[in-house]
Amino acid sequence: MNYRDKPELRERLAAEYALGTLRGRARERLRRWLRDDAELAREVAAWEARLVPMAEAIRPVAPPPRLWQGIENRLENTRKPFSFWKTLGLIASGAAAALLAVAVLLPPQRAGISPSYIAVLSDPKTNHPVLVATAERGEMVLRVNTLDPAIHVAGRSLELWALPRGAQPRSLGLVSDQKAILRLAAAADQSLGDVPTLAVSLEPQGGSPTGQPTGPVLYTGPCVKYW
Amino acid sequence: MAPPAQALEGLLARSALGDRGAFRALYDATAPKLFAVALRILRREDWAEEVLQECYVSVWRHAAEYNASRAAPMTWMTSIVRNRCLDWLRRPNPQPIDDEQLEALESDNPGPLAELERGRDTAALARCLRGLDAKQRQAIALAFFDGLSHAELASHLREPLGTVKTWVRRGLARLRNCLELQG
Repeated sequence: MNYRDKPELRERLAAEYALGTLRGRARERLRRWLRDDAELAREVAAWEARLVPMAEAIRPVAPPPRLWQGIENRLENTRKPFSFWKTLGLIASGAAAALLAVAVLLPPQRAGISPSYIAVLSDPKTNHPVLVATAERGEMVLRVNTLDPAIHVAGRSLELWALPRGAQPRSLGLVSDQKAILRLAAAADQSLGDVPTLAVSLEPQGGSPTGQPTGPVLYTGPCVKYW
Repeated sequence: MAPPAQALEGLLARSALGDRGAFRALYDATAPKLFAVALRILRREDWAEEVLQECYVSVWRHAAEYNASRAAPMTWMTSIVRNRCLDWLRRPNPQPIDDEQLEALESDNPGPLAELERGRDTAALARCLRGLDAKQRQAIALAFFDGLSHAELASHLREPLGTVKTWVRRGLARLRNCLELQG
């Protein structure tokens, strides 16, 4: 069926998809089209925005406690058993998760361009993300955004480390402000290309005296290349 | 009372970052409504539980894809649940429709409309639904709330399939025009 240049048909399909009367193969077909037809997806979203608030009329029904239990079990079963690495995996699991962090929490960098490298560092004790670092592949700059200002400790420094595969940690600099901009030794592709993980350690004021982490490693997270 | 959209957006954003506590709060705020939505369409508690579990796991995994500029958080999550319910109904074990269960929504029952009229964000929708012909409104309500297909609508309303399809199509078009005028 040729639907692309038939606005009335598109409109009707979008409306009936949102209402739920589009069924069976027609429904599946529309769902396939939605993947690469952004305009059609907008039409469906517009219809959902019109119709779905009807659900406000439905009286809530408390679900049994086993429902949440079941959700937790399903989330656990798809993760590794060690809670610390689970945290890492969980945050790494989404391209999406980190991209959202950038979209939601960072100021716009360059309109329309997503950063090439993104790292979300979190506190393994609480699972809370505390820092987001981003870099564009060709630039020698790492932007570090503190999500939780409470992590800064008076009289001590937070030092950010690249943990390259099979090599010693490499200092990326001190995270001294809520929005720190750190100079990389080379363009991000060279500096971060082989770095799966970033970490933050607590160091004496001014940073590690030895060039290697000396204090406790407080936060860590995967560093992911998106493009 | 619907939870404020902004609060849900914040919980979704934190869930996207792996914050399980935020996800639990999101669940507590939304599950009673979504469970009711699923129960209404599926008419079986065990199915509704199964579908809701799948949906929340999906929300957890895809929270980052939620786009606040495109949909209100509750609309986004409700759509996920409704879509999953409709997929579920495709399985080859359809339940006969129980007319008694549907009666609450018959056109002469003010229940759902009255409920919508009380909401600040849904009052316009309620007005526009009221403006439809009774048959159109009834067909749309049965399709939306109870997940009836065109064929099920036809058999429940004892009308030819083509007639029912026309009610739905015209009702939707009028609803859209009315909402645009109200907007």
